[in-house]
Amino acid sequence: MTITASTPSSSGPLLWWKHHRKLILPPLLGIFGFLLAWQLSASLGLTRLPGPLSLFTETRTRELLLYPFYDRGGLDKGLFWQTLASLGRVAQGYVLAAVVGIGAGIAVGLNKTLNRAFDPLFQFLRMVAPLAWVPIALVIFQKNQPAAIFVIFITAVWPILINTAEGVRQIPQDYHNVALVLQMSKKTFFLKVLIPSALPYIFTGLRISIGLAWLAIIAAEIVMSGIVGIGFFIWDAYQQNYVSDIVLAVVWIGGVGLLLDRLMAWLQSRISPGQ
Amino acid sequence: MTALVEVQNIEKDFPLTGGGHYLALKGIDLEIRKGEFISLIGHSGCGKSTLLNMIAGLDLPTGGTVLLEGETVKRPGPDKMVVFQNYSLLPWLTVRQNIALAVDEVMPDLGRSEKDAVIDEHLEMVGLGQAGTKLPAQLSGGMRQRVAIARALAIKPKLLLLDEPFGALDALTRGNLQEKLMQICNEHALTAVMVTHDVDEAVLLSDRIVMLTNGPGSKIGGILEVDIPRPRQRLTVVHHPSYYSLRSEIIYFLNRQKRVKQWQARPHKVLARHGLEKVNLDLGFIPLAACAPLAVAEAKGFFAKHGLDDVQLVRETSWRGVLDGLVDRTLDAAMMPSGMPTWMTAGGHGGEPLPIVTALTISRNGNEVTLARRLAEQGVTTVEDYRAWLGSHEREPHRIGIVHPASMHNLLLRYWLAANGIDPDRDVHLQTLPPAQMLADLKDGSIDGYCIGEPWNFRAARSGHGVPIVGDLEIWSGHPGKVLGAREDWAQAYPNTHIALTKALLEACRYCADPAHWPEMGELLSDRRYLGINADLIRFSGQPGESGAFAPHGEPHHLFFGAGLNRPSRSEHLWILTQLARWAEIPFPRNYVEILERVCSVGVFSTAARELGLEDVSYQRQGIELFDGRPFNPEDPIAYLNDVSVHRDFSIAEIPIGQPRAMAV
Amino acid sequence: MTTIAPATPAPPIDIPSPPQPLLRFEGLGKVYPTPTGPYPVLENINLQVEQGEFICVIGHSGCGKSTLLNMVSGFSRPTSGQVLLNGVPIEKPGPDRMVVFQGYALLPWMTAYENVHLAIDAVKPNLPEREKREIAMEHLAMVGLDKASDKRITQLSGGMKQRVAIARALAIRPEVLILDEPFGALDAITKEELQEELLQIWNTQKCTVLMITHDIDEALFLADRLVMMTNGPAASIGEVMPIDFPRPRNREDIMEDPKYYELRNTALDFLYNRFAHDDVE
Repeated sequence: MTITASTPSSSGPLLWWKHHRKLILPPLLGIFGFLLAWQLSASLGLTRLPGPLSLFTETRTRELLLYPFYDRGGLDKGLFWQTLASLGRVAQGYVLAAVVGIGAGIAVGLNKTLNRAFDPLFQFLRMVAPLAWVPIALVIFQKNQPAAIFVIFITAVWPILINTAEGVRQIPQDYHNVALVLQMSKKTFFLKVLIPSALPYIFTGLRISIGLAWLAIIAAEIVMSGIVGIGFFIWDAYQQNYVSDIVLAVVWIGGVGLLLDRLMAWLQSRISPGQ
Repeated sequence: MTALVEVQNIEKDFPLTGGGHYLALKGIDLEIRKGEFISLIGHSGCGKSTLLNMIAGLDLPTGGTVLLEGETVKRPGPDKMVVFQNYSLLPWLTVRQNIALAVDEVMPDLGRSEKDAVIDEHLEMVGLGQAGTKLPAQLSGGMRQRVAIARALAIKPKLLLLDEPFGALDALTRGNLQEKLMQICNEHALTAVMVTHDVDEAVLLSDRIVMLTNGPGSKIGGILEVDIPRPRQRLTVVHHPSYYSLRSEIIYFLNRQKRVKQWQARPHKVLARHGLEKVNLDLGFIPLAACAPLAVAEAKGFFAKHGLDDVQLVRETSWRGVLDGLVDRTLDAAMMPSGMPTWMTAGGHGGEPLPIVTALTISRNGNEVTLARRLAEQGVTTVEDYRAWLGSHEREPHRIGIVHPASMHNLLLRYWLAANGIDPDRDVHLQTLPPAQMLADLKDGSIDGYCIGEPWNFRAARSGHGVPIVGDLEIWSGHPGKVLGAREDWAQAYPNTHIALTKALLEACRYCADPAHWPEMGELLSDRRYLGINADLIRFSGQPGESGAFAPHGEPHHLFFGAGLNRPSRSEHLWILTQLARWAEIPFPRNYVEILERVCSVGVFSTAARELGLEDVSYQRQGIELFDGRPFNPEDPIAYLNDVSVHRDFSIAEIPIGQPRAMAV
Repeated sequence: MTTIAPATPAPPIDIPSPPQPLLRFEGLGKVYPTPTGPYPVLENINLQVEQGEFICVIGHSGCGKSTLLNMVSGFSRPTSGQVLLNGVPIEKPGPDRMVVFQGYALLPWMTAYENVHLAIDAVKPNLPEREKREIAMEHLAMVGLDKASDKRITQLSGGMKQRVAIARALAIRPEVLILDEPFGALDAITKEELQEELLQIWNTQKCTVLMITHDIDEALFLADRLVMMTNGPAASIGEVMPIDFPRPRNREDIMEDPKYYELRNTALDFLYNRFAHDDVE
């Protein structure tokens, strides 16, 4: 646990900048340098990839950037709606994965026999790439929407499950002893000892999974034609050779992924502080 | 007082992962009274935590039972709360919440405000009233353990179990917590069992200290009663005479365990040579001037001369060490106080009677009684003065140090006190202390005096802390002091070795008796292998009458050799038996004739003397008469015993000692 | 130490100066800045340590013992005063002062031998490889680990790890060996064994030792002098207790010496009476 205990009291923004510039300047410079190199290589014709500035110079991308909320019906929607559709699928699959993963993880973590029975299977299934699940999902569900959710689920569940199980196994013998001596009820043990103790592990699993789920949905949507979603948006742009659109969508995807990860980190810090 | 916990013949066997099994504990019996504080001490791996876990119900014994208030302990529960070494607080809960969790669980029927009151009370108790809202991570190790103690006490357990509670703390932080725990235990009359490896902690906190031997098959090696009054304080307990003697007793025990382990790890071969069954011997002694014959036999080559090529002198710090060395056979033979052979043969050491033989009296005299200087300053210079002084200082405890209950110091001191109208148990308290500590205790005034052999009387006089009040010449001139002792089964197995050893030592005794050799012997004994003190502090004998016709105090009169001096005397050992019985150390053996016959290896001595051409020292009939002139008739010891006015309740009993057998080689 | 002023005029430069203490603490102080203002840890520490002395430092936690050693080792600079080694102020860490930590600070993926070798290699890179190997093995043998030199650190017990750490420290022949509670984490038997080994090594190597301990008995067994620290903030040396048991020492002999109990009680009195300390703040 690190606490930076510098509290600017009477100083104002100038002092704040003084304290934090070492944290802020390097990443800004890094990003700027990268964009500059990219733009230069595009301008000099070293690559056919449009430079970052093209996002603003090209009408299509400028429109997409400026009007994320437009909706012309069908698949022709603004980036916000595209993202929201993808996020919706992620949310459903992810919640399902979290519930199943944590539940099964606790069971496996507490019971050695269950663990021996299923661990090889889990290790095997988790190595299967998300994309490989897509055809199977389509065969099982016959429809795009549930198939996409299934792909999210099957991708996201393993890290949650395995980490939760590990977290439960890692509960110090001491805590078990305390529970034994106090003759704690199962419920109390579960709520007061098991969950809090395993929580850091569960969150590690959840954070890994949210990233994976977001990766998986893009891949799944690219394959599942004809649905609203940021993945299909890229596929569509590629078909029509709108390279700038693709660049824009990639930036967008990265941004959303980063936000999701931060969100989970924030949640973790709220729910299990100080661990 | 009733037993709260009864541990009955506990055994614990662990299956090993690679097959086989490990017997951790065997035959443990222990009763814990209500309100007692018990410590379990031993080296790591001795099973002390296992024992605690079985009392807690966290682990079940493979044999025997643990009863709590008469009911078998089958599972853990809040009535026997455990404080673990690593605190085991839940790090995501605050201090209050940690305690509340236990209180909620164990006392669900209390109202919220009552629960809060319980929590507050116990937080205050451990001095953490301010820290309730903190998380464990924000606290120091010592504070965390306080929280754990508060949590344990808040649920009002019948029994508090502490598993090395301060083991993870540094030695100094530990001290503060020990005092706190002690204070809480006192105020709330708690019953507690604590596992520890810290000797000072055990002495400070406990009513009784249970010492466990090394595994496998650890058992209780001894239980010490800590007779230091409560309330205790870390700084004042060290001035109580029991403190350092208990401390040395435990350290002795732990060292002994370590040595036995090392001894067992060494290969032990019996080397037979020169017609002797065994020429490699370990001989025990303790550093006193009277050990001169052993040192001389080693230095002057008498052992080798008689074929004992490989004799190791093993320096023990107390007679306890000699005793244990013979019991567990890590010693072949030893110099021992003259009372020890009969005492051990009669089972005085608390175990089965262990027949011991003695073929040689190594030294006579050499003991004195020293009183603290502060007494002399108040005019106490004679025993009459002392009796009067005791009468006027009744309220204070009066302790006199002795080195061992079976030593001649104890028996002579008791005889002398009793004959002078001082009851050695009621008017004063005789306490077994290590010699070095006696001097320190004399200095800081926690004992009145002591009775011991040289060099300790001379040292006290030299340093000005004590004044000799009576020498053994005035109690029983020529009493046996130290003797050679060995197990009877050892002597049976190695008869020729026994004779050779007796010869070597008898020759050394003759050497030591020559005053011309004393300066050289002083130099020899000053070596750290023996006494390790300045040669000028080592005196063998002063000139008789040097400091006045009557009282040659301050000078020993060691006799090492001479007519009738070295031959083991049955009547002397019989006198010793009467005295041991008089003070209830042992019952007086009805079969005393058999015991004396077995203890005194007169035949071995006679052979040795004859082979050395020293038949003339062999035997000289002399009666036993002490300073008070009361005659001792060896024909009727029981009448002698019945005749003394001051004695304890003694009994007369047959002591079965079995048939003589040779040790399995 | 007093030096007698020569009656003759000031000696010429080439005459060796009178023997000076190896280590000299002169008005040493350390202040840490904190958000709530400066916090003085140590104040006005004055001490002279002779070549070859064994010094133990004892005090309650928070008394700045480690800060003190850090300034000798050069990990940290004093805010006032100075520490002089052979008359030269200490400014940075150097191989003439080696530290042995309680946590061993060994590289776990290397063998015992490699750990020692690495230190020799770093300090004396120009030594021929054969000599480096000899020095490493000699010091491992000194701590009784010549047979275990090929074992990885992770395969060693706590006591053996600490032996490696001591061997590593000694292999580069420091003038001052600094030990920060080296045996705090070990069980009683291993601790005693290591203490005895340390004394033996100190005896043969004639190095100067500065050791932090929490254990009075350990200090009584090992040290020539016991430096007892007062409590922080602004801790200083409360008392320096000479421990003059004859050497070589034997644990049992010391326990037999009446002076042992006297010294022990003096130290107890200092720590629990005169400078008692409660860990609850």
